[in-house]
Amino acid sequence: MSDLLLENEQARRIIKTLGLPIPVPERLARTKSPYEERPLEDKRVLVGGRGELQDVLAQTLTKAGANPWVVGETDSVLKPYLAPGEAWARPPTRVAPGDAPEGERIDAIVFDGSGLQSPDDLRELYDVIHPWIRRLNRSGRVVVVGRPASDAKKAGRAATRAGMEGFTRSVAKEIGGNGSTANSVFVEEGAEGRLGPVLRFLLSPRSAFVSCQPFHVGKLAKGEDAPETQPLEGKVALVTGAARGIGEATAELMAAEGAHVVCLDRPADDGPCSEVARRIGGSALLVDITDEDAPGRIAGELREKFGGVDIVVHNAGVTRDKTLARMAPEAWEMAVDINLGAVVRITDRLLSDDLLRPGGRVICLSSVSGIAGNRGQTNYSASKAGIVGFVEALAPQLAKRGITVNAIAPGFIETRLTSAMPVAIREAARRLCAVAQGGKPEDVGQTITFLATPGAVGLTGQTVRVCGGALVGA
Amino acid sequence: MTKKKNGWGKKQRAVIVGGVRTPFVKAFGQFLKLDSIDLADAAVKALLDRTEIPHEDIDSIVWGGVIFPSLAPNIAREVALDLRLPPGVEGMTCTRACATGLQAVTLAAAAIERGEADVIIAGGSDSTSSAPLNLPQKAVHALAPLAFGKAASPSDYLQVLAQMMPITDILPKMPKIAERTTGQVMGESAEEMARRNEITREAQDHFAARSHHRAAAAISSGRFDDEITSVEASDGAVYTDNIVRGDTSFEKLSKLRPVFASDGTVTAGNASPLTDGAAAVLVMSETKARALGYKPLAAIRSWAYVGVDPADQLLIGPALAMPKALDRAGMQLKDASFVDMHEAFAAQVLSVTKALASKGFAEGRLGKSKAVGEVDEDTFNIHGGSISIGHPFAATGARMVTTMANELARTGQETALLGICAAGGLGAAAVLEAVA
Repeated sequence: MSDLLLENEQARRIIKTLGLPIPVPERLARTKSPYEERPLEDKRVLVGGRGELQDVLAQTLTKAGANPWVVGETDSVLKPYLAPGEAWARPPTRVAPGDAPEGERIDAIVFDGSGLQSPDDLRELYDVIHPWIRRLNRSGRVVVVGRPASDAKKAGRAATRAGMEGFTRSVAKEIGGNGSTANSVFVEEGAEGRLGPVLRFLLSPRSAFVSCQPFHVGKLAKGEDAPETQPLEGKVALVTGAARGIGEATAELMAAEGAHVVCLDRPADDGPCSEVARRIGGSALLVDITDEDAPGRIAGELREKFGGVDIVVHNAGVTRDKTLARMAPEAWEMAVDINLGAVVRITDRLLSDDLLRPGGRVICLSSVSGIAGNRGQTNYSASKAGIVGFVEALAPQLAKRGITVNAIAPGFIETRLTSAMPVAIREAARRLCAVAQGGKPEDVGQTITFLATPGAVGLTGQTVRVCGGALVGA
Repeated sequence: MTKKKNGWGKKQRAVIVGGVRTPFVKAFGQFLKLDSIDLADAAVKALLDRTEIPHEDIDSIVWGGVIFPSLAPNIAREVALDLRLPPGVEGMTCTRACATGLQAVTLAAAAIERGEADVIIAGGSDSTSSAPLNLPQKAVHALAPLAFGKAASPSDYLQVLAQMMPITDILPKMPKIAERTTGQVMGESAEEMARRNEITREAQDHFAARSHHRAAAAISSGRFDDEITSVEASDGAVYTDNIVRGDTSFEKLSKLRPVFASDGTVTAGNASPLTDGAAAVLVMSETKARALGYKPLAAIRSWAYVGVDPADQLLIGPALAMPKALDRAGMQLKDASFVDMHEAFAAQVLSVTKALASKGFAEGRLGKSKAVGEVDEDTFNIHGGSISIGHPFAATGARMVTTMANELARTGQETALLGICAAGGLGAAAVLEAVA
């Protein structure tokens, strides 16, 4: 069922006019177009803080088409922005700290915290962001970048770095009503060059429903190439559960970036699955992934038709909810086998047959409620938390070959699954996140597609939540 | 490979033997009654007369146009027929927005270098005054039954009429120079470039004033006399360019109001105006030129065409094309004796020269560690440019080639670098060199 507060214009107007104490969620800006050369075209991005990441920020922002407004006492802060500014004709503008000139608004804030050393320095977050936070346009973005706390040699420095994450999470809750998001990115030393694509994603409408999240950009997996447009050109992608919902949205988005998508679903879903495959110029593969011979059949198909596979998206999943006391063994079996067992078996087979090509991507669907635990979902949570362990273990094993392995944990997404929930619970679940609404399958698809791109090589072994900043399971 | 006349596959050097243009005249003025073919006829006829090239030696005409006469778009062939050249003088017409004139010349050079031809007349013409007003598709489709005689009864006519409502849908649309993909009018693109590259109104007006002063000096000194032919128009002969204003000044130009944005910087004074005119160039293989007793003015050493995203900086193309042509010529900007750039807008020219002088631009866009270089005012657009002389779209490239070839021949200098920006995010450049 559709979200009345989001989609019904009359309802929105009535609530606003009467001043009813119901928060009306902001419609999130999204994009339908494939990856652009300049995703931040003419966006005004406020950049503050200090540290070693300024050069990457300057390069990334100007090349992406943004107009940087740099916070600083003197023009020396503009230095990293001058050369790229001339190359892409995006000259920087300096604003004094604490000064937000009357009437000026911004589309995003990026704070470089890589230079912060002690807890006192956290004050810079306040000084830069406080004057501007109310000037952030709708569907705005806040991104705090820094170094990972775990890499700090001194405990005080680790505390400072970790503090930035907490700050960002709270900012996310405060600006969600505006349709805006806040995320933090921690970049390992030596992985600076991998920050750019992550920033382009987080500052763009593609990350509309990603908020409150920390990202860790590392140098574990090999790979340097990061095309900005048509990033999946020449790639073969397998998407399970592609007949509808998140799988369908993912298949569509990946095809739009140039991938040939093998759409896999149950033989019973022949109709919709083939329809999707035809529409996106991919191919359909009808297999029940719980069948004993499923891994072999999938491997055989990929070997014969494509000689291998570059991207594997384990999206197929089910819920069979009952409290543990009332759960039948079949319900347990089914949820755990489809959501986790089949994922492990198929991945193992693709690896043992050496079908997953260098630079490949494995993306598995976990779940926020799975991680957080949820009444009536012992089987589901076991399977979805299992996925987190799976990607954490597999990532380092495959890193040398440039393969990354990540999990996606969607929050409340408007799909067939959630539309079957009782009205009251559904309505509550929708509002329990920073942006006070459910996500769309394409939001999850966008994050999956981003993780599949060569530019996302810095992210591996992680569980990325697409939850709009959900209150549960932080 | 066997060698025969116009030896196919033979490597030969392409040289400029001569060039003539019509006066460049403000659109909807003295040339109102002349269309693009008439103007081309005038320029080519003068070129034939002045160079006294034997007509039977001409292989072909490569002509350029941007706004085409709708009933005869292959202008090149019409010119050959109008001037009663031998029927064997074949013709083709090309288009590349404002770089069209240069395109015609480099197509001719390529054909000569390939040994496909020895003598080619290249050039371009445009009559903005004769731009056809197209009926919207809706009107064309509705009128089709009448045009093809299918309508019979009065009710058929009524039906056609009924389809013509509302009237605003079927009125011809005024042609405007807007990008098809972005819808942006070119002046708006120039405004955006001025803003992005921080080019002030003051700098633009200074540049425009200089353009007028230099062009006026060239005209009064007789420098253009060899290059311009008079043209018979309905109100009598036209002898000279009529856009140049030697008496303009920075102060006068700075009083003009911006056209494309209320707080903008682009005015009618620092942009190139709509213009009617034609320019023709005689391109030959060096061997043939010498055999016929000509002293070539210059040779074509290299050229380059590039494209940039029209949604970004529409007219920055020359900043990429000029370094490319220099690389191909094996030289650097500082080696060029002259630099001649098409002046679509002062804002655009200054954006390009700023980019050429920028190390950041060289690093980010050209993969070079050093800036391409500063353009020296004393050798840059020495006789003015499109802002003062005018800009019949397809003629400008051939005008620039003619003026620079003459300049090399007259001064004994070595090389000239040409740069042209064009709609669609295109950029063009070429290097001319002296011929001993």
